[in-house]
Amino acid sequence: MMARRLDPVALLAAPALLYLLIVYAAPILYLLARSLHTDAGWAFDAYTSFFADDFNWKVIGNTLRIALLVTLLCLAIGYPVALALARAKGWAQVILLAAIILPLSVGVVVKAFAWQIVLRRDGVVSQVLVGLGIWDEPQRLLFTEAGLVLGAANVFLPFMILPIYSVIRQIDPRLTEAGATLGASPWYRFTRVSLPLTLPGIVAGMAFVLSMSVSMFVIPSLLIGDRFQTLATLTGRSFLLMRNEQLGSTTAVVLLVLAVGIVVGSSLLARRLGRHT
Amino acid sequence: MTTRTNMAEHTAFLNVVGAFKAFGESAVLKGVDLAVGQGEFVSLLGPSGCGKTTLLRMVAGLLAADRGTVALAGKDITTLPPHRRDVGVVFQSYALFPHLTVAENVAFGLHARRADKAEIDRTVRRFLELVHISEMADRSVRALSGGQQQRVAVARALAVQPKLLLLDEPFSALDRKLRETMQIELRRLLRELGTTAIFVTHDQDEALTMSDRIAVMNQGVIEQFADPATLYRAPATRFALDFVGLSTRIAGRVSTVSGETLKIETPMGSVQASGAFRSGAQVLVAVRPERVRLARPGQSAEASPAESNRLSLKVRDLVFQGARMLVYFDSPDPMLPIIAEVSDGEAVRLAPEAGMTLDFSWSPDATLLYPAQS
Amino acid sequence: MTPIERLSNAMVAVLAAFAVIFLLTPLLVTVAVSFGSSTVFTLPPPSWSLRWYLALPSTSGLLSSLWTSVQIAVLSTVVSLILGTLCAIALVRGHLPGREAITTFLVSPLMLPGLVIGIAMLQAFKAAGIHGAWTSLLMAHVVISMPYVVRTVLGAMTLFDFTLIDAARTLGYSYSKALIKVMVPALAPAFLTSGMFAFLASMDNYPISIFFTDAWTKTLPIQMLQYVEESPDPRIAAISAGLIVLAVIVLIIGDRLVGLKKLADF
Repeated sequence: MMARRLDPVALLAAPALLYLLIVYAAPILYLLARSLHTDAGWAFDAYTSFFADDFNWKVIGNTLRIALLVTLLCLAIGYPVALALARAKGWAQVILLAAIILPLSVGVVVKAFAWQIVLRRDGVVSQVLVGLGIWDEPQRLLFTEAGLVLGAANVFLPFMILPIYSVIRQIDPRLTEAGATLGASPWYRFTRVSLPLTLPGIVAGMAFVLSMSVSMFVIPSLLIGDRFQTLATLTGRSFLLMRNEQLGSTTAVVLLVLAVGIVVGSSLLARRLGRHT
Repeated sequence: MTTRTNMAEHTAFLNVVGAFKAFGESAVLKGVDLAVGQGEFVSLLGPSGCGKTTLLRMVAGLLAADRGTVALAGKDITTLPPHRRDVGVVFQSYALFPHLTVAENVAFGLHARRADKAEIDRTVRRFLELVHISEMADRSVRALSGGQQQRVAVARALAVQPKLLLLDEPFSALDRKLRETMQIELRRLLRELGTTAIFVTHDQDEALTMSDRIAVMNQGVIEQFADPATLYRAPATRFALDFVGLSTRIAGRVSTVSGETLKIETPMGSVQASGAFRSGAQVLVAVRPERVRLARPGQSAEASPAESNRLSLKVRDLVFQGARMLVYFDSPDPMLPIIAEVSDGEAVRLAPEAGMTLDFSWSPDATLLYPAQS
Repeated sequence: MTPIERLSNAMVAVLAAFAVIFLLTPLLVTVAVSFGSSTVFTLPPPSWSLRWYLALPSTSGLLSSLWTSVQIAVLSTVVSLILGTLCAIALVRGHLPGREAITTFLVSPLMLPGLVIGIAMLQAFKAAGIHGAWTSLLMAHVVISMPYVVRTVLGAMTLFDFTLIDAARTLGYSYSKALIKVMVPALAPAFLTSGMFAFLASMDNYPISIFFTDAWTKTLPIQMLQYVEESPDPRIAAISAGLIVLAVIVLIIGDRLVGLKKLADF
């Protein structure tokens, strides 16, 4: 029996892996370790006092609530748009693709700032809603939760559409045709064939949007102000404004655990789905 | 297992000795020797998994053997990387560079050798001519049909005039008519250039048609290495018999031995053959279908006196194949068929039908004998 | 087609149209405001004017932060393209154990909160004695760019037929020369797409970069947010409009070279 020799080609991965391990993974582990260990030894004090404070629970609640609302809104809009994109041809397809990819390329700061303008009392949204008769008078959406959800959904929508779209593209159209020849109605075909097959795309899209909404910093900073805190804004303020590194590290770790939980949970879900298909 | 070849090993142009390769626990090449003469066209013939592609990749340098040596034109190339071996390869998938035109593909190896532009243009033009694809010179390879891509692949490999050309099932993706045309063209081209070639295939007809010699491979060893006629008429092992051509196979036991002449008892009667077996040995008696003479019962002694092995058998099935007909007979073992081949003219004369009893006879000289499968 | 199918198709189309407007509104509004004459962000503005664009060159810190951002983006993109491609080759051909886990690790910076990564790096760099803001920014941005490169290049390389490399070797090129002559041209679209997105991600990054600024080193997003806090006026809209134009140009180039559909491959 011959010993398993390492293929020299495998060594090509070394530079990238070593770099990320040293510059990215090690600092994060260091952060985790330091937050649990002070000069006096292992200590959970920072965390016990963090979770004892009602304010912090409110912050966590804000974070989760906003993230879920954004994700659901993106799903509600994003799934049909992905369908439309898969069906679109010619100019319609170009316009749709451009409308999705261009905001991606422009960046968070530009868009968050843009939504600041849009959500003002005299902004576009307000004018439209008054014009449609939904509102009696112009209102300010800036510094409200609704405005934040709307702005965040706008920024993250492409991240919901594109994964779903890429899965839809790969579905064999003959599958629904087969369903039709077997007597299935369009609704039945959609719910029993198309929808389940697109589930991996939905999971991927939701994972992206959920983790990005939980982590977002620039958008809430610009759109909702100081009275409403999320884990990310609290962390940022602790470090940059309040100079309270202790609190900042603690909230950072809580935020990290939350984000990792979402990523791990969604990949487990994706693998479970993969086994069933 | 080494088989004695016609060429002495020290004059061999390509000499592979003791090639051994294992992937994990399973051995794919179990000590293979292969000696090919200059200008020869040799086929490696065998089922998938027999090791023929592994052997080919070893000779090309794309795979390192665990043990064994490769020598080409007297030089040991065992440790040389592929780009220094002067061995050309035509891949099963053609492997044409999709971002280049036909002419650029053919010129690729010449650029690697730093030939000057004028020489490259001349050579490219010449080889495009040789494979009859000059009019496609500036087209992208993506626009070509399978047969055309195949010709470009051959031209590309030959343009650098390698000492040895290896071909890995190059025609497997082509339809039958095209394949036959390509086989003839390739042989003609290689003869004209004098290039030595090794051709991997699992199609016995292809191997028989094209090769100077054929190496039949099975489970990592070469079972027989001989010219097509010898391989067909005197297969050295049971595997070679099974793999190439059809045959009647009957299990029997040696009853009497007088020198080289043996008398063998079978369930359908006794037959004679020559061979080196002991009395009482279990053997497999085989004969090629076209060496069998069929006759109405009782008429065979008169019709074909030389075919002294005579059995009386019942027809089970007839397979019409145009110029010939295969007649299948009832046999005691469903794994061992009994087949006779008759020309269409004979079939008309004989008018065989299922259920009919006929005399089945062949000459002792045409009998092939093998030890029974253990 | 049944009436229900027709209706649902129509609804989907309407929703798609709404989504297009929804997605493009912020960008259109920004451009509109940038041409307005007042210092307030009202729409429609009292009159149109180019004053905010004309004020840009004299805006302190704008050009230097732009230059810093571009430098960092280009360098980090190039480094991650090289490291990421080598790594992709190893993942596809090197029989590495735990291939999926390694890939997830390489892509994870995308999924984790940038803020946390920034904090962790800041503390670690301080402990390691790395103090230069510019160097720290560059090191951090390579981590940001790597996921884009690995995702896209790995995907394309999985589809690449390595028999072409075998063919090139039998024709006279060594393994590394064969990779350059054959694989690089074939993978050019993937390099382009991932390079583009990596560049844009680096130009846009705030949460990690904010921890590595000093008086002389600021990236563009950081500078812009400073303007928003200190002196919010439509100059910021003008800068944004410039970035939008840049994105449009990049998109057009990308479409010419690769096609919008390929760019959408996520």
